[in-house]
Amino acid sequence: MERIVINKPEITKKYKKQKASSSLQRKEGLQGYLFIAPWIIGFLFFMAGPLLFSLYGSFTNFNITSKMDFIGLDNFKKMFTNDPIIWLSLKNTLYYVVISVPLTTAGAVVLAVLLNQGIKGMRVFRTIFYLPAVLSGVGVYLLWMQLLSPSSGLVNTLLGFVGIDGPAWLTDPSWTKNALIFMKMWSVGGGMLLYLASLQGVSQSLYEAAEIDGATSFRKFFHITLPMITPVIFFDLVTSTIGAFQIFQEAYVMSESGDGGPANSLVFFNLHMWNKAFEVFDMGYAMAMSWVLFIIILVLTVFNLKIAPRWVHYEGEDRK
Amino acid sequence: MKTVRKTLVSLLILAISFSLILAGCSSKESGGSKSSGTKDGEKVVIDFWTFWGSETRRPIIEKIIDDFNKSQDKIEVKHTYLPWGDVWTKNLASIAAGNPADLIINDINAVGHRAQNNQNTNLAKYIEQDPEVKDRFYPELYNASLYEGDPYALPFNTDTRLMFWNKDMFEEAGLDPNTPPKTWAELEEMGKKLDVKKGDKYERIGYLPNQGIGADVWMINADGKGYWDFDAKKAIINDESNVEALTWMKNYYDYYGDKTINSFKAEFGEQTADPFVAGKLAITTDNANFFTKIRDYGDGMNFGVAPLPAMEEGNGNSSWGGGFVAEIPKGAKHPDEAWEFLKYLTDVQAQEYWAVKNFDIVANKEAAEKAAGSAEFSEEGKMVYSEATENMKQTLLTPTPIEAPDYINLIQPEIESVLLGKKSPKEGLDAAQKAVEELVKSNKK
Amino acid sequence: MSAVVQTKENYFKSANFKKKTGQAIVLIVLILGSLLILSPIWWMIATSLKDMKEIMTYPPTFIPKEWHWENYLITLQKGPFLQYTLNTLFITVFVVIGNVVANSFIAYGFAKIHFKGRNVLFACVLATMMIPGFVTLVPQYVIYAKLGWLNTYLPLILPAFFGSAFNIFLLRQFFLTIPNELIEAAKIDGANHLYIWWKIFIPLAKPAIATVAIFSFNGAWNDFLGPLLYINDESLYTLQLGLQIFKGQNDTQWNFLMAGSLMVLLPVITLFFFFQRYFIEGMNLTAGSKG
Repeated sequence: MERIVINKPEITKKYKKQKASSSLQRKEGLQGYLFIAPWIIGFLFFMAGPLLFSLYGSFTNFNITSKMDFIGLDNFKKMFTNDPIIWLSLKNTLYYVVISVPLTTAGAVVLAVLLNQGIKGMRVFRTIFYLPAVLSGVGVYLLWMQLLSPSSGLVNTLLGFVGIDGPAWLTDPSWTKNALIFMKMWSVGGGMLLYLASLQGVSQSLYEAAEIDGATSFRKFFHITLPMITPVIFFDLVTSTIGAFQIFQEAYVMSESGDGGPANSLVFFNLHMWNKAFEVFDMGYAMAMSWVLFIIILVLTVFNLKIAPRWVHYEGEDRK
Repeated sequence: MKTVRKTLVSLLILAISFSLILAGCSSKESGGSKSSGTKDGEKVVIDFWTFWGSETRRPIIEKIIDDFNKSQDKIEVKHTYLPWGDVWTKNLASIAAGNPADLIINDINAVGHRAQNNQNTNLAKYIEQDPEVKDRFYPELYNASLYEGDPYALPFNTDTRLMFWNKDMFEEAGLDPNTPPKTWAELEEMGKKLDVKKGDKYERIGYLPNQGIGADVWMINADGKGYWDFDAKKAIINDESNVEALTWMKNYYDYYGDKTINSFKAEFGEQTADPFVAGKLAITTDNANFFTKIRDYGDGMNFGVAPLPAMEEGNGNSSWGGGFVAEIPKGAKHPDEAWEFLKYLTDVQAQEYWAVKNFDIVANKEAAEKAAGSAEFSEEGKMVYSEATENMKQTLLTPTPIEAPDYINLIQPEIESVLLGKKSPKEGLDAAQKAVEELVKSNKK
Repeated sequence: MSAVVQTKENYFKSANFKKKTGQAIVLIVLILGSLLILSPIWWMIATSLKDMKEIMTYPPTFIPKEWHWENYLITLQKGPFLQYTLNTLFITVFVVIGNVVANSFIAYGFAKIHFKGRNVLFACVLATMMIPGFVTLVPQYVIYAKLGWLNTYLPLILPAFFGSAFNIFLLRQFFLTIPNELIEAAKIDGANHLYIWWKIFIPLAKPAIATVAIFSFNGAWNDFLGPLLYINDESLYTLQLGLQIFKGQNDTQWNFLMAGSLMVLLPVITLFFFFQRYFIEGMNLTAGSKG
């Protein structure tokens, strides 16, 4: 409700400013929507439909090709009371997430710092470490199956050189997940890229100032480098966690006939979902599973987002 | 501003519903998608999907296709290679979208399961027109392609498990190289005689029961029945003979130590060196076309081949086989033409050609028997192939039970636990039985 | 600085020595690490140079007995790999362009423009990352089928122009580290956001953009599932699909598979090697930054 104010200059000025700033805000807002429009369009056209479909599908007995009858919460009931494998699959997945994510994140950071030195030949080293991340496809998994052979594989042979008796990586149920984590560590160079780029943004003057104060490399790392790259660490942690929860391809290829063996040690949540979808053709159930996983990941990510301000430091600061 | 908002909201709803409708449409609609079966003049082009892209298989199937194309001018078959395993994911998606291939090679043991889910086409009306087609095949294979009495696919090729032994090693160990073990007991005994130990490491092992086959095959061998009773339509995982079979296998693990056996198995991953070929195993049980490995990498090994030993004398030497069928996916645009090619594919000429060139056991009886005497095989090849065709009489298949399609996922881990020593055979099989019964119950709903 | 007599004690205490030792240690660690990282690659190379007979012998050899260099030529002849390479290149180039342009555009909006519902929408973006791919696989396939896009490269290329959650998130994080003073200054000079995005942020965020470019190049070049599902004509296949012919049910041709895999990764790694400077070029922020 506008109030007609007569001849009060300060108030008029303030009112004019408010009006000006709110129309500016609106203009700002419009530009914002314009910028994110491509994503919105893409989402609506390519993702929204399938997502809603799969949400609805999780309440049906959809089998991809012939039926889709509404069955209410049956899928979810079955999941929580009648599926012996699902809890194991969650456990396996959690194990993988909890161990691989911190390891690979820390590894990538350390690697990036090491490769950021101004020493000659860094280009070659960076390329070498990045190489595994570029190798992709089933060929790599098959390669690793050979490398992880208990007596004649490369891994155990190398371990043997330093006197360690390597385990039966892919046939001993207590070591299979570690084998996959080991494999993931090999391609830690992929994540390193991210940190390399972000290290460039850390202003040299900070280091110089610290050096004048007599800081050692360690202190420089922990008190300058790390805090300045926390935005990227945050990104890496969130995306790695999301990715790790969805591990599937490795287990599918590397366990005998894709069943997550031996002794279901490699049955991850997604692998179980895959079997339900494409072996049993119970796609409705698989869709239900995917939404449960979504909720789990969502909760974790929100948690991450909430505690982020405590340790993530943005130089640029959020624009008000 | 309000109108802008309104328009935006309605656009939103429009876009989402557009997306939803497209996504939800099943193959019930007559698709407007680019179909490959365009009438090329008078010829109908049909799509044939296989996973035979390797240089051994591909030329063979393409020659068969070529012969068919040349033999008539109404149908042209177009072959597309898709990677093993992934081809069936794509098949599924394309059936859902209403534009599948016209003919596809698929697994024989899940035909009924796919039929139940409306993924393949009922061939009954075609068989009615050409009833002699169904008599071409080994009965076990044809039966596996049935669902509720109607055929939904035609068998193409198969395999069967046989026993191979290294004759020279037999002689070395003082055994008659021409007398293979005939019972489980003999197998165990001879196997142990063939062990060569150096210190506490095995240089060579006589026989290991999980090399090339698994517990399920031994259970079938024991009494002709595996995990599932198809007549009674129920799980029989923990019946007596199964427990006995698993116990027998476990004895090997106890004798050799599971570390030895497991690392032995892991050493020789499925696709690189084979222990029998490498001289580390004296007896092995494997597919009939394992012979090609002996032929190519065995350095002229002197070997013999025989049916699987019987549990006890008189129990029979049942073996297990799998195989592939050719089926017409549901919703294919040219099922009639696909049937014509399907007939050709499973007829004597094409089948014999495939059998001889690939050393593969084919589903067409006449073709297989002809191939067994083929001049293109070596003497040993002929020996193995004839043994295999003989063995078809006692080869059983294990179609996926519709009541519990993924029952294997509940059984296999239990068996592995048993062999790792974590449970007794009876405990493991009882647990598996219970789990599968639960699964059947929950699937009934 | 006063002249310091370089005595022996001085030398060991000097910063220069500390620096040099530090570098030497780093070098040693890197060399050891490289050897470890390279050993599986060596295994691939060794396998690619063997003949099948040697591959099938036990125990496996780490150095090929015979070096069959011709395996590489043979591999190339086993299929129309030149065609596959061109196909893959075509797709990849467009995907990279799309990814770089679209995602930096969208990420700028999320990072530096304040609009209503921004946080909620960004949360939605993140949420799309959390959904396992293959439940939307079949419905998406059906959509593309109905649109008539099957057997074309459209399903593989077009989505790149509409942004992807991972890249949006990544670039947003980078953009957030760029001080707002730059934007304020530009606005005073009369620039709108479009200008700021194009002329200021993109050049400043070169390392991040290069990262997105390399990630998406890698992703498109090695994409397997997309081409598998959406392409029907073998002449349109990509490299990863083409390599599969060496993988058999039980007759995998290891040497050609490894040779092919190594050749497929060459373009990506070469690109990376030569474009490294974009990762390393510092983001030249305004002088007088916080210190």
